[in-house]
Amino acid sequence: MNDTTMNGIAKSGAMTFPLPLAPVNVNDCLLELYEEHYELEDYQKGVPRWCTGCGDNAILTAVQRLCRDEKLAPEKTVFVSGIGCSSRLPHYMNTYGFHSLHGRALPIAEGIRLARPDLKVFVNMGDGDCCSIGAAHWIHAIRYNMNMTAMLHDNNIYGLTKKQASPTSPIGLKTNTTPRGSYLEALNPLSVTLGVSNVSFVAQVVDWIPKLLYQTLSAAYHHKGFSFVRIIQRCPEWLPTHMDDYLHDPQRVLLLHHENGLEIDSELAKRYTNMEEHDPSNLNRAREIASGSDPIPVGILYRNDDVPLYEEVRSDSRLRTTSLVKNGLEAEFDKFTIWPEGQTRAKHEAA
Amino acid sequence: MNMEVKAQDQIAFYLTGQHNGSGLKPLDRSYRPALFARHADLTAVRYDFPLVLNSEGTPERAVLSLSGLVDEAVEALREDKDRDRIAQHGYALEREVRKELAHPIGRANGVAADFATLWNAAAAQLTVEDSTVDDSAKRLWALFHAKGELVDADFALPSRVVRHVWSVVQASKATAFHERAERLLLKLHAILDAEIAGSDKGRLPERLRAGLAAQAGTSFATTFNFDAMSRILIDAKPALALSEARRRRIQGIVDTIDRQRFYVPKTAVTGDTQAHGFVFYRCADALQAYKERRQEAIELLKALSIAELEVNGDYRESGSTDVDDQTSTSVPGHDMIFEDFGAGGLDAGLLATLPDYLVCQYSSELGAEETLQIVEALSTGLPIRVLVQTDDLLEPSGIAKANLVAPERHLALASRSRQMLDTAINLTDVFILQSSASQLFRLREALLRGMSYNGPAFFSVFSGSTGHNGDVPAYLVAAAATESRAFPTIVYDPSAGSDWSTRLAIDDNPSPQDAWPVHPFEYENETLQTRSENVAFTLADFMAMDDRFREHFAIVPKADWSEAMIAVPDSLKMSVKELAKGTIVPSTVPCITLVDENFQVQRAIVNRRALEETRRSHAMWHSLQELGGIHNSHAALAVERAEARAAERFAEQMKSLVTAPAPSVQPVKEPLAAAAQAESITVGEVAVTVAQESHGDDPYIETARCTTCNECTQVNSKMFAYNGDKQAYIADANAGTYRQLVEAAEGCQVSIIHPGKPRNPKEPGLDDLIVRAAPFN
Repeated sequence: MNDTTMNGIAKSGAMTFPLPLAPVNVNDCLLELYEEHYELEDYQKGVPRWCTGCGDNAILTAVQRLCRDEKLAPEKTVFVSGIGCSSRLPHYMNTYGFHSLHGRALPIAEGIRLARPDLKVFVNMGDGDCCSIGAAHWIHAIRYNMNMTAMLHDNNIYGLTKKQASPTSPIGLKTNTTPRGSYLEALNPLSVTLGVSNVSFVAQVVDWIPKLLYQTLSAAYHHKGFSFVRIIQRCPEWLPTHMDDYLHDPQRVLLLHHENGLEIDSELAKRYTNMEEHDPSNLNRAREIASGSDPIPVGILYRNDDVPLYEEVRSDSRLRTTSLVKNGLEAEFDKFTIWPEGQTRAKHEAA
Repeated sequence: MNMEVKAQDQIAFYLTGQHNGSGLKPLDRSYRPALFARHADLTAVRYDFPLVLNSEGTPERAVLSLSGLVDEAVEALREDKDRDRIAQHGYALEREVRKELAHPIGRANGVAADFATLWNAAAAQLTVEDSTVDDSAKRLWALFHAKGELVDADFALPSRVVRHVWSVVQASKATAFHERAERLLLKLHAILDAEIAGSDKGRLPERLRAGLAAQAGTSFATTFNFDAMSRILIDAKPALALSEARRRRIQGIVDTIDRQRFYVPKTAVTGDTQAHGFVFYRCADALQAYKERRQEAIELLKALSIAELEVNGDYRESGSTDVDDQTSTSVPGHDMIFEDFGAGGLDAGLLATLPDYLVCQYSSELGAEETLQIVEALSTGLPIRVLVQTDDLLEPSGIAKANLVAPERHLALASRSRQMLDTAINLTDVFILQSSASQLFRLREALLRGMSYNGPAFFSVFSGSTGHNGDVPAYLVAAAATESRAFPTIVYDPSAGSDWSTRLAIDDNPSPQDAWPVHPFEYENETLQTRSENVAFTLADFMAMDDRFREHFAIVPKADWSEAMIAVPDSLKMSVKELAKGTIVPSTVPCITLVDENFQVQRAIVNRRALEETRRSHAMWHSLQELGGIHNSHAALAVERAEARAAERFAEQMKSLVTAPAPSVQPVKEPLAAAAQAESITVGEVAVTVAQESHGDDPYIETARCTTCNECTQVNSKMFAYNGDKQAYIADANAGTYRQLVEAAEGCQVSIIHPGKPRNPKEPGLDDLIVRAAPFN
């Protein structure tokens, strides 16, 4: 009885955008005029321009499956990205999307989360986007722990600018900006994330095991808080053989499983026999696992459901009525409105 | 004011309906039932309305849904490369058509709209922004195979749909009649012609010459000696002549069929007498017309029956007597049989040949006399179709109608349609369909069955256009009537069987097993987090939509909400318990969930009067459930008794077992163990076989491991395709070459493509390809 007031019924906007592609099915209830049933195609928009073989395709498919299985209404879902190959992902999702500035996906996602907590927020960032220019935002996003799913598409290279070294490029990697090989030790996104206070969900997965990719993203989506998933992916154009050793040798992938983490099915267990039972509530062990890169640890490293969410700590007590939203928008627009001489909003409205 | 005082005010409103200066607010038009919150604008929703009253095709396609037509057309285009574009345009066109129907421009509201005109207008409208819409609209139209009126849920819908289905059924009857009449007339004319041809007059040289000339042209006219032919024919064969009685009878039949006025003649002739009309607005008129035409109908049906006998040569004017060793059997002659044809009334089977009478009436116009006439019409057994359209379901009863003021006002619903329905059901051989306008499309098959039923049929339809529901669309009001059990859906088909369980169907109601349909209601709290609760849709919710009953509800400010406010279904149960205890002042108040104009959730208390009406409605629904075989009290009692008897028997057996000596246990015999072993061996063999047969030499993909990287689909998109999870499989191994299979396997970064063995031994370069494929097999 305390959850009383609403700002537009959750599904009230669902009727105009987008139209369901599925045939109309008559339900038992005459008041339920359309069925909430989605197909993968309902989330597909346009043809991805990624290179053939790019790991981004696998990530796109996994998030589309997640949206379909969770029946996420497209108009209640938003994908935010920065700049880079991976950041084209919102273009290919038939949901709301925000292809923002380099490194600025997270603060924009946080703004959306504050203003529209009814939306399901997903963030897609590349390794340069997140770990270089957007590093400050990344660290504070972890600390703010706002409810969203952040995906780090990590292919160890700047693909969009044609093979430049990124912060996660391994030492010795020859790129156009490091022709004699990268000089610095690569940044480890997992260790960084696990070192920030208020961290609540950290996972790592590889793009070439679709079942695990889906399971991990699903767990991240269901976690209430900032879920950080590093997805190690291939770049067939600029680093075509970079991941081959890991790709073709199942022993070089370490599957983390636990009753509170991922449960590995028998098919996967047959192929990937290198496994470790890891309790995601064990932060110290998570840090140890994160520091290893060969074999690649895959699964949920850390999860803490008790970390407070910033949007709950600092929630706005005002009701988000349509008039409040309208007035707020008008006030913002007024900052940029140029009225004719002698005209003001008050006069304009009176007229 | 503290919470206790507020709670007392709430209870006072519940008991008296008076506000007493408390913080309760009156309910006005800006509030709507919570479950309506999602449907602020029906024009943007895809659902089964509007309907196309199709004038083409079979009666089964008489009523079509616009959405259904678009979906069918899109499905038919599934192999077409432009399918997605056409589908999106189809949905947009649908929306334009809905908008135009809801807010007509250049057309009076309620006037029938032509499907083709609206479709083309919508296409023209959208083509302005996207030139390809025109092509999509044309391609979809070509696949519709439908034309006719387009109707939305409004006050005219019930009569339009029922009349249309009636006219479609009559059209098919007319076709059958004309085919039969033509067949009979052809043969009857042949009989008459044969008589002339076989007579001496018919064998005269001039007639023979004329006959040949007419058949073969004039070229043979001089070849034959018609005089000689005439002589031979007259001498060789005695003249064939029909008896005068038969000739007159046949001529009479021909004239009767030619003159009939029940069906419009296929080819209209100037000066023809106009055909009879069969649509009436009062049952009395329909019955009067039936009486006036009765003799005409008897003559026509008699003529048709005799004609069938005549053309088969089976007509026997007088009777005969067969005598065998011990008995003699008399067969009466047809003259005698047909002399009194129809004197005792025409049976339904014969009458089905003729058009059915259709009466369309409004329940608001049903006085005592009209009601009696409907009952009389339905009880005659004639194939009469009566539509009673109800616009005002919550019409107050006579005692509440006078302009009384409180406290003399009395809340009681007239339930006229309910009374009519009960009477019709009790007539036992009347086909009954009761449905809200919103359900009519779903019940089109039952509607068609009713129209084709050999006997009277009664259709009771609630239009939803009450005039008391503000701007709530008629569709939603009609749907709410069904949901709230105020107007349950009933199909009663006497031809389905001989008992209630087969004749009465209430399955088309929402949640027919339950007292009320309960639906999840989602909303967002202050922090915009989604919450869900189950909300029942009751008669109280339906009444709260009606201007005349809003005084029975009071909005409780959010700050005053308490645990004592419980949902109406719970309150109905609670009040029964409290009544049993003799409680005068209840501890709880019933409330319903609504949304206001800002889409904020509100709760309103329901007063006792409205709750009592809800209880009555529930009781009526429950009795209907019992008739329909759901929660039947007789059946429940019988089950209870049977269970008690079974328990008794079981107890007795147990008692006898305890007193009897324990039976000796037989050791398991060897063959049994052997059989069990044999079974396990068999199972094992099957498992081995399954493992071995997996793929053989066929190419395959480990689909679950596919990363959707597009490598293989770019090699050959017909050979490799994505499934519903967007993971690759081999759609058609024959759609490409072995080389493509091998190249795809080499290109696949996760190495999940297995090319198998070559399928075409003549493919060039196979030796090299087989070597390359080896690592992947």
